[in-house]
This record gives sequence, C-alpha cells and structure tokens, in this order.
Amino acid sequence: MNTGTYSTTGELAKHATLILGALIVILPFYVMVSFSLKSPQEIGTHAGGFFGSQQAFLDQYCVKLGNPEADCWRNPAAYNYGNAFKKAPLLRYLLNGVIVTVSIFVIQVLIALPCAYALAKLRFWGRELVFGLVLFCLLIPVHAIALPLYIMLANVGLTNTYAALVIPWTISVFGIFLMRQFFKTVPDDLIDAARMDGMSEFGIVWKVMLPCAIPALMAFAIFSVVAHWNDYFWPRVVLTGSRDLYTPPLGLREFQGGLDGADTGPLMASATVIVIPLLVAFLLAQRKFIEGITLSGMK
Amino acid sequence: MTILRHTRLAGYGFVLPALVLMFVILLVPVLVAAVLSFTDYSLGNSTADWLAWKNYEKIFTRSSYQKMLWASALYVLIVVPVSIAFGLAAALAIHSLRFGGNLYKTIYFLPVMAALLAMAIVWETALHPTIGIVNRSLEAGCGGWVETFFSWGWIPGVDPESSWYASSCQEGFPLWLGEKRYALATICFIGIWQAFGFNMVLYLAGLTGIPRELIHAAAMDGARSSWQRFRLVTWPMLGPTTVFVVTITAIRSFQVFDTVEALTEGGPSKTTYVMMYAIYEKAVEQNLMGMGSAITIVFLMLVMVMTALQRYMVERRVHYS
Repeated sequence: MNTGTYSTTGELAKHATLILGALIVILPFYVMVSFSLKSPQEIGTHAGGFFGSQQAFLDQYCVKLGNPEADCWRNPAAYNYGNAFKKAPLLRYLLNGVIVTVSIFVIQVLIALPCAYALAKLRFWGRELVFGLVLFCLLIPVHAIALPLYIMLANVGLTNTYAALVIPWTISVFGIFLMRQFFKTVPDDLIDAARMDGMSEFGIVWKVMLPCAIPALMAFAIFSVVAHWNDYFWPRVVLTGSRDLYTPPLGLREFQGGLDGADTGPLMASATVIVIPLLVAFLLAQRKFIEGITLSGMK
Repeated sequence: MTILRHTRLAGYGFVLPALVLMFVILLVPVLVAAVLSFTDYSLGNSTADWLAWKNYEKIFTRSSYQKMLWASALYVLIVVPVSIAFGLAAALAIHSLRFGGNLYKTIYFLPVMAALLAMAIVWETALHPTIGIVNRSLEAGCGGWVETFFSWGWIPGVDPESSWYASSCQEGFPLWLGEKRYALATICFIGIWQAFGFNMVLYLAGLTGIPRELIHAAAMDGARSSWQRFRLVTWPMLGPTTVFVVTITAIRSFQVFDTVEALTEGGPSKTTYVMMYAIYEKAVEQNLMGMGSAITIVFLMLVMVMTALQRYMVERRVHYS
C-alpha cells in the first residue's frame, strides 16, 4: 500500500509488533488448552510444557474415597475431559445450547422473512410506518430491556423454560432490516413471473425469495448463532432453578462456582469443549464468519 | 386489480406477526420499565407503592450508584478509545504487509468468536497469583535483565528502586482482580482483548474501500511521509467507519456484564460495579424491581442517545465519497 519505496526494516518492525500482539491474543487460549491436558501437580508447578508429561498421576480424591491406590492412577487429559462431562452435565448443556440457538434462528427467519418481503416488495397502506417502527426498534438492545422482559415472563409463569430462553430473540428487527435491504435488490420481474405462474404470495416468499436470499441468510445465521451460543446474560437472568436448562456458558459458570479451586484441569477442559466448536467452524469458513459477525457493520 | 388487493392483504398478513412481536417484546417492556421505575415493585407482591422520582434521586445522589455510573463511564472511556486505536493500528499494519496479513487477521479475530464468559474464567486462571502464567512470568523476570530493563534505571534521572517492576519484585505482584487499584483496569484489559479484533476487521474493510489513486495523488502533491498521507487521506476517508466503530464499541462496552459477574461481582469496593451488573444485582438477586427498572431506563436513555448521535453524524455525511 505504501507508495513507491518498500522498506524491509519497516516490514520487519511491523511483523515483530504484530507477533507480539498475537502472543497476547493467544495467551488465554494457550492456557486453556494446556491446563486442560495437565495433571493438578503440573498445573501447580507449571511443569510439562504445553502438553504436560501425560504421565499417570494419583487421584487424591479417589484415594480418600477408600479405593485402593492402584485403582486411582489417572491419565491427566482423560481425567480432565472425563470429569468435565461427569461432574457437570456438560453434554446436556451442549444439547441445550444447540436447541436454543437453532430454535432462535429458525423462528427469527420465519418471522423476519415474510415481513422483509412485504416491506421491500408489496404495496400497502402503512408500510412506511412499519418500516419506521423497525428503524426505531433497532435502537433498543434486548439486553438493556432484559429486566422488564424477565418481570413479564415471571408474571405469566414462563421463567425456567426453553420458551423463556428463546422468546426475547424471536423478533430480530436487525434481521428484518437486513433482509429488506437484500430483497430490494431482487428484480420485480422475477416476482411478477412467479405471480403469472399462479404462485401465491406465501409461495413466493418461501420458493422464490428464500432461495435468492441464501447467501445473506447464511451470514445472518452465523451472526445469530454465535451471539446466542455465547450469550450469558439472558440465561443468567431468566434461569433461576433447574440446571437441566442451562446453556453452555451458564453451565460453565456454575461448574466454576461449585469448585474449590483445585479442579482447574476439568474446568479448563469444559471451557475448551464450549469454545472450540465455534473456533473450528470459524477457522474452516473464515470469510463467511467475518462477514456474518460484522454484519451489523452494514447498517 | 385483484392482484393488487391480493398483495395488499398478503402484506398485512406478512407484517402482522413481526409487528405484534415488536410491540410485545421491544416496546411494551420499555413502558413497563418506565412505569415500574417510579414504584418499589418486587416480584411476588401484588401491589407496589408509588415513589415518584425517589429511585432516580437515589441513582444520582447515593454514593453506591454514583460509583456505578463512574465505573461504567470509566470502562467505556477506556475500552472504546484503546480498542479502536489497537484495531486501527493492527488494520493499518496488516493492510500494508506484503505477506502474512491474513494469519494475523485470523488470530486477532479469535477472541471475538470465543464465549466471553469462558474466556473470562480462563483469564482468571492466567492471572491467578500462584498458578497463573502472568504473575509467574513476571516473577521469572525479577533479578535479571528484564527487571533491570523494566525498572527504567537506564533512563537518566529515574530511580529504579521506586519503579513498579522493582517494587513488585520486592513485595509481590498484584492480585489483578482483587485489588482496588487494578480490578477495573484488568476488566478493561479483557474487554479490549476481546473487542479490538472486531474493530480491526471493520477498519480493514474500510481501508480496502480507499482508492489507491487517492494516495498516489497525495504523494504527488507532496505528502511525503506516510504519517502525512495517513492524516490527509486515509483518516478522513475512514470517517464513516470510525463513526460506526465508535458507536458500536461504546454500546457494547456499555453492556459489559460477563467478565464482571464471573470475576469481580462489582468489587472490590464497587470499583467494577457497572450498570448491567447493578441491574442484575438489584433486580434479579435482591428483587428490587423498581430500582432495577430505574437503572434500566437511565441505561436505555444513554444507549439511545449514543445511537441517535451516530445516525445524526452519518446523515451529516462524515465521508468524502
């Protein structure tokens, strides 16, 4: 980008600075994965490098329970990941996370797509008014109104249900806005041709517009799934009782709170299990992900 | 004609579900919070007393709420400029690289993808006084050239004994999340760590939008140093991106909650008592819904003012295209 001269020292200095930055960025990921592989002693003494020595260690808790010592030797990695799933219902949390994020996305699309189509392509009285309302609602972050939503859900007895986790996110004004802008670019001829063929408006939304919108929908899917998989605030507010409904971040927090501090290995293993799926997906489809996450940059 | 009528009906049918949900989920709650903020409502009570402005009075006069406003303001005022500066610097450096740019971009974006709560817990482990890698590495530098260097004794007129590094080597490195002096700064650090990659990506997008000819033209016209070219061309051209990045980072950092709830619970001495945490603590934990609603309303006002300001700036066209 620099005009004309290209300086090697400048290039090297930039690389040095960027590498230093990268090390700080990666540090917690390094700690997380490394500790999830180590035995408690290795964590305490910082021995064993990144992977730990992977030598079997004596599980003191197992000995205290009165088991013979010979039965209490454990492989560190297996112990940490095993306990992550055993001591807390991590699998259940992951399943809840999938159920909640998928339901949210599907309902968001079912609600937003027809609305966006109507705002972009149909003529009816009050259309501009509705669009104005969408623009106004863009100003309201759902987290900011979590409290009144919680009060309303509590008064109809809906706290501690899947419904409570999903309901506030069913309406995505951002999704409506985004899809409306996208549908504006779809040529009217296409819709008219579908009408000539006798297709109903309902059919047009799902059989003509939806296939057109796949790229935009993909980006929106990533935006939505990442936000709700990682969300901690809303589940924390609305789930007060049973652990059965906990989403991954809430489950992890509960796991941390219940530890006496000695079980860092299993805790880091749980964190790894929760964080890695999205990171792997991101590494596999970087362009799509960056596009999706920065969608809000298109406003 | 029939088609027109037909599509009009379809239009209403398609808009209706979204319209109903917008009212029930977004607009009614704002009204509910506004009304409750004048009462002492709590869940389980069938009635509540009308307090008029008392909740709001408390927010602006009681010291614990003043600490809340102060903590939130400080957090935003630190995280926004620093994460934007780092994001911009990273974007400029990566954009001008001959090779390897994409690798840095990928790495810097990782924190944006990772669940903040999980990473907060990991940071807590990394900052732990005994098993944490941070203090352990700092301690490893004591007594060697690292201490000599970072005690700044080699700068004329500086007393190395009184430097932060040397005295920490003597008295031990801080409990990052437990000491009043460091807790908010540490929470800010995690916030910056998480946010700057997002800003970097937006700036990279902005940079690719600047036509090369413009920069060449500036160079021809005598903008010799790259700083001059940045100040005269790049920075003004990034105007719209900057307006957007500032607003979105401000709104997001205003909503900080995960790190505070998991690591400090507002303490020590309310130095990290940010607004979202205050809402959670007052309303959900202590069932003081009236007070929680009042904080919610103040919070909403601030967020809406910020967004409205952004829209106004965009409409005034902070760009040159």
